[in-house]
Amino acid sequence: MNSISVKHLSKNYLIHKKTAGLLGTAKAMFSRSYETVKAVQDISFEIEEGEMLGFIGPNGAGKTTTLKCLSGLLYPTAGNLSVLDFKPFERKHDFLRQISLIMGQKNQLWWDLPAMDTFLLNKEIYGVSDADFEETLSDLVTRLDVRDLVHTPVRKLSLGQRMKMEIIAALIHSPKVLFLDEPTIGLDVVMQKAIREFLKEYNERYRATIILTSHYMKDVEALCKRVLIINHGKLLYDGLLQSLIKKQAPYKFITVRLKTEVPSGKLAVFGQMKSYTFPEWVTAVPNERAGVVVADILKTFAVEDVSIEEPEIEDVISEIFAEGKGGE
Amino acid sequence: MKKYWYIARNTWDQTFAYRISFVIWRLRSILQVLTLYFLWLVMLPRNATFGGYNQSLMLTYILGTSLINSIVFSSKTFAIADEINEGTLSAYLLRPMNYFSYIFVRDLGDKALNVIFSFVELAILFFLLRPPFFIQTNPMYLTLFLLSVVLSVALYFLFSVLLGFMGFWSRDTWGPRFIFMQLLTFFAGGLFPLDLLPRPVYIVAEALPFTYLLYFPIKIYLGQLSFLQLAQGLFISGVWVLSMYGVVTFVWRRGLRTYAAEGS
Repeated sequence: MNSISVKHLSKNYLIHKKTAGLLGTAKAMFSRSYETVKAVQDISFEIEEGEMLGFIGPNGAGKTTTLKCLSGLLYPTAGNLSVLDFKPFERKHDFLRQISLIMGQKNQLWWDLPAMDTFLLNKEIYGVSDADFEETLSDLVTRLDVRDLVHTPVRKLSLGQRMKMEIIAALIHSPKVLFLDEPTIGLDVVMQKAIREFLKEYNERYRATIILTSHYMKDVEALCKRVLIINHGKLLYDGLLQSLIKKQAPYKFITVRLKTEVPSGKLAVFGQMKSYTFPEWVTAVPNERAGVVVADILKTFAVEDVSIEEPEIEDVISEIFAEGKGGE
Repeated sequence: MKKYWYIARNTWDQTFAYRISFVIWRLRSILQVLTLYFLWLVMLPRNATFGGYNQSLMLTYILGTSLINSIVFSSKTFAIADEINEGTLSAYLLRPMNYFSYIFVRDLGDKALNVIFSFVELAILFFLLRPPFFIQTNPMYLTLFLLSVVLSVALYFLFSVLLGFMGFWSRDTWGPRFIFMQLLTFFAGGLFPLDLLPRPVYIVAEALPFTYLLYFPIKIYLGQLSFLQLAQGLFISGVWVLSMYGVVTFVWRRGLRTYAAEGS
């Protein structure tokens, strides 16, 4: 069953332009010029129930705009959206009760009050029973290690602590569909890991559909099998993360520690030379030849150590973005 | 419903998070009342009348409008424009609750707080100043007075929300709001009874909806309106409330289409 279906989504913003400085301001008072920014252009994809999807793209690519359209905040300029068989922008209460949008930089918590006050308000708004509330809350605060902080005014919390409270406030009603926009922003490494584990378990336990955007590729790698890559509002890739690596980077890195120094000319014949500072030598070879090449190297040189590695996912993706730029 | 209780309570707690600011706000309104009070006390000696008001009626008008003022004009709706521009509106849109009920209950929370305080303040002023206060005893006038205050609360709420919705199309909404509030206080009769105005200005003032915010309720309390004037006034303010409701919901729908959920 498809839980989310997006057909030809486009979203334009009208932006009021102003040249910098006092003169620009004065000019803008009399004649305003507007510019249409195409934040998202003709994007289509589908997501099954229980799937966890990574949404990747540089700043301003259109990820957040897509999430905002899916959660019903933005009115799409064109296209058809369906989330759990609802049209998001109508924001029917039955729809809102089943979703949650967590934005790393936005808050729903009452700034001057303890987070607990927001949790209790949300409990009532979403109609969560006392027993469910107790159970969910107790689970969340333990897992995110904030049990002692729920009675502290939000403005006194650190960025990371606040982020955790936001996550709790957004999950009190156990949503079926979760939109996560940079959920690990501002968190330390330990907490990022805790949140990742938590999301994974949440996804399994509730068969929740989750879309995740993150600047930390580690988040996406750990959680999502399938990814969407988007840049300049256009969809560049929709498929498995693994096949992306195979398709985009059909080579492996061989790192060799040599025992004795060899002139670099002799090494170049084995593959594409990536770096060479004695004793370490890195070369890239096509996937299927990796085994043969390693055997050759071991035969030819005195080698202390050798290892074969996949290219870093981050490198692969920045390569895609670089290509996208060249294409325009 | 429990959720409304939580909203109202959170609004109080939020206000009390900044106690000094609240106290200064109350102090400002006390000073305002005292200024007008002493002005009229000096201008209207005990046995004189001015434009049909003797001292007791005039002072009742001043103290009465100040109380109605604290009920009608206390509101958190000024925050709406900022909520739109900063994108915090999103948090309300994403939750399964009616936004209008939400902001209305938030206002009721704020009003309750302001009414309690201004009641206590006025009681203290009464005790200290012992003004010749006019007490209305006719239950019909009192009932209609309360009804007109309810309509006034609704009408002001709608005007203020509409001003807040300017945030959908404009970044700076404080300027227009400030001018509007000045005009509104004047035309609502917040400074002096409107029937002291020259006839042509009075006719204009009466045709505006603002007259139903303070002037009309207090005139009912003072028992200075004929049955026809009462019926007509209540009817017209009812019509204003309904049509403003129509305008506000229309603008809300249009606004949401341009809403960009900014700030992230």
